[in-house]
Amino acid sequence: MLLDAMMMEPRKRLMGMERDQFPVGMRVLAVDDDRVCLKVLEGLLRRCQYHVTTTNQAITALKLLRENKDMFDLVISDVHMPDMDGFKLLELVGLEMDLPVIMLSVNGETKTVLKGITHGACDYLLKPVRIEELRNVWQHVVRRKFSNRETNNNLDFCKEYSKNPTTDSYHGLSQVTSGSSDQGNRASKKRKEPHSEEEDEGDDNDAQDNDEPSGSKKPRVVWSVELHRKFVAAVNHLGIDKAVPKRILELMNVEKLTRENVASHLQKYRLYLRRLSVVASQQASIAAAFGGRDPFLHMGAFEGIHSYQPFASSAGIPSFNPHGLLSGVGATAFGLQDLAPSKAIQCASSNGAVSHCIGDTNKFHIANLQEKNQANLAQGLTAPLVQPQLQQKWIHQETSDLSSFFSGSALANTMSGTLQRVTSSSLPPVELLECTQIKVGAHSSIRIPSASSGLLERSVGLSPYLQDSSISQQCAIPIDDGFSVNKLPLHIPFVDVSTTKLDASFVAPEQDMDQKGKFPERVTVLPSESLIAADRSKCGTRSSGSTMLLLSDTERHSKYLKFGVASNSRHGMDEMVNGSFNYNGSASVPEQNDVYDFGISKLQGGFNSSSCNFDGLLNSIIKVENDDVPFADNDLGCELFPLAPIGGAVEVADTAALQR
Amino acid sequence: MEYANLRRQAASLKRSLFDQGYLDEQFCQVEDLQDEASPNFAEEVVSLFFKDSARLVANIEQAMEKYPGDFNRWDAHMQQLKGSCFSIGASKMSNECTSFRNSCAEENAEGCRRSFQKVKREHAILRQKLESYFQLLRQAGPARTATRSGGK
Repeated sequence: MLLDAMMMEPRKRLMGMERDQFPVGMRVLAVDDDRVCLKVLEGLLRRCQYHVTTTNQAITALKLLRENKDMFDLVISDVHMPDMDGFKLLELVGLEMDLPVIMLSVNGETKTVLKGITHGACDYLLKPVRIEELRNVWQHVVRRKFSNRETNNNLDFCKEYSKNPTTDSYHGLSQVTSGSSDQGNRASKKRKEPHSEEEDEGDDNDAQDNDEPSGSKKPRVVWSVELHRKFVAAVNHLGIDKAVPKRILELMNVEKLTRENVASHLQKYRLYLRRLSVVASQQASIAAAFGGRDPFLHMGAFEGIHSYQPFASSAGIPSFNPHGLLSGVGATAFGLQDLAPSKAIQCASSNGAVSHCIGDTNKFHIANLQEKNQANLAQGLTAPLVQPQLQQKWIHQETSDLSSFFSGSALANTMSGTLQRVTSSSLPPVELLECTQIKVGAHSSIRIPSASSGLLERSVGLSPYLQDSSISQQCAIPIDDGFSVNKLPLHIPFVDVSTTKLDASFVAPEQDMDQKGKFPERVTVLPSESLIAADRSKCGTRSSGSTMLLLSDTERHSKYLKFGVASNSRHGMDEMVNGSFNYNGSASVPEQNDVYDFGISKLQGGFNSSSCNFDGLLNSIIKVENDDVPFADNDLGCELFPLAPIGGAVEVADTAALQR
Repeated sequence: MEYANLRRQAASLKRSLFDQGYLDEQFCQVEDLQDEASPNFAEEVVSLFFKDSARLVANIEQAMEKYPGDFNRWDAHMQQLKGSCFSIGASKMSNECTSFRNSCAEENAEGCRRSFQKVKREHAILRQKLESYFQLLRQAGPARTATRSGGK
């Protein structure tokens, strides 16, 4: 309480200051190939007293943004441009610079708008743009800044009270994410800002008081692959439980990185791990079903976690990244999603969370999820939703950060495709989900912003499922030992998606599983392998890796793990795709590989065929988005959802279970 | 005197353009953006519009000849033109653009051609009217920024 009260003050001050000065002088970059529109837009923005820069080429815009990440506060871009698709620009900006982007278009069709949102747009305006609409766009910038600042503020306070910073961060974060309405700014925290953490210039206090959004030049800390690697290495060195930001910072020895940056990143990372562990357990069950595979057990491999960063802890749930899926870049993120949710469906509770994810680009999702996740997490279960989301986000994030790393687009595409597919199929998943304990469904949900939400919910439900009894109830697939593979291989694919990340996350065997008794073992996510693999393979293989993470102690797990490992080699996807996973029919993943495939191939297939419930919207959206991208590329495993394509899917799960 | 007269004429021309549906509310917004910093903003935007739109119209025409039946391509071009029309409030013209796009969606080549002719015609009419309008304003002198006599 006190902490809250204390935090309110500076926040208020900050807000007050911001209100007075911001949005005047907000720096906007306007991009539109139509010179007339651009000129009018410029005039309107100037009238709002913003500082405007215009260009009619997307490539120039990107160059400008890349050269100096702090030059602008907001980007407004047209959708239809000859040199680069507006959505692509949107994704890149969101990933690389984490700036709010607003889309403009004459086309106001729902599906196009949806696409914009899923790709990460903060807003979507129709031409002709009215000045009233532009007057409000500064809110997007403020929200973002507040999100970041919140973290910092919380940390500061924590520090003052000599509390464990990380703990406080969590606390603060959870507070924020819980989206308490009373906390004004906190609400903004919902927006996931996984990547950029504003570096406090000087002290946090300064940041609080003096930081003006409009003029804020805080360099954003982008958690690149390298940086994340260092971070993970430091954390591993210290031990995940003992890792405190200060020590991590020392070990990392990176200039200009502040303790706050590390603290908030650590928070996210922890959430991510939690999620992974939940997923891992799922995976493990699946793996177990499959047979033993090499135990990935090395948690050490957190490398894979790079992508982790994106998982803004707050967001916990990686916004399923519709973006990713759709655009392909973010897709990778989604892939992860699949992983988690498969069972998700079970958790009705998670549903809520999921829905969040789905709707928006990561940010949105994450925000929502976070809230949900928060709750879930609190319960000790990283709501499966969260996982998927996180993963997705994670993936997504990763993509952005590590864009090179994963050649994001490649992954994304695959993932997106898969996710899409998954999602589509997942929609019906509810039924499916039930069977499949696996969250797979969750994946799918991510993709589809609107449709998926429903789906996700279902799937998501699963994730949290672990905790929730619902999961167990629903799923026909009892995870006796913990991983009833029954679940539908979906899980596995799921793992892939997150590929590396999962590994890391698994480290923390989520309790969830145990609740139901389903996942007795904690899946030690073998992140290292998968992660690494992920990097390399990016696609399919990676995903397999992710599954691998589950380090079950039992043999089963090992098998399961192997699964992951195998995937690393890329085969996972390919093989799996082909085979085994017949979702519709044979859900049981016969082998690891199969499992892998299942999720993926089947998902895709099942997905489409099953005719997800989603209203055709999702399906169409998704379908459009991805051509059947074999999971091979990305672990898309997430797509697992398809497991239970509408109604029918459920069977798969059962079969799988039976087979097991 | 003379100036006031000219301004009145300009105002009534503008009113008639609105009444006849050539222009809409968006045009007012564009004019509103005019201020000391950019005193000729509206005119600049409009002349930019006509330059660009002439080019776009030519592109469409060419596309229709060179790629017969390629409705997607035609539609893509027309979408660009439509965006511009929206931005300055050229409502009659943008309506014709919309009907052109509808014909494209229906893959109705004949409908497209007819709509396109209308687009071209509206384009020419609007250009002529707006040119007169701005000419009057120019003649009416810089006192434009003062209260507009005759109301808007």
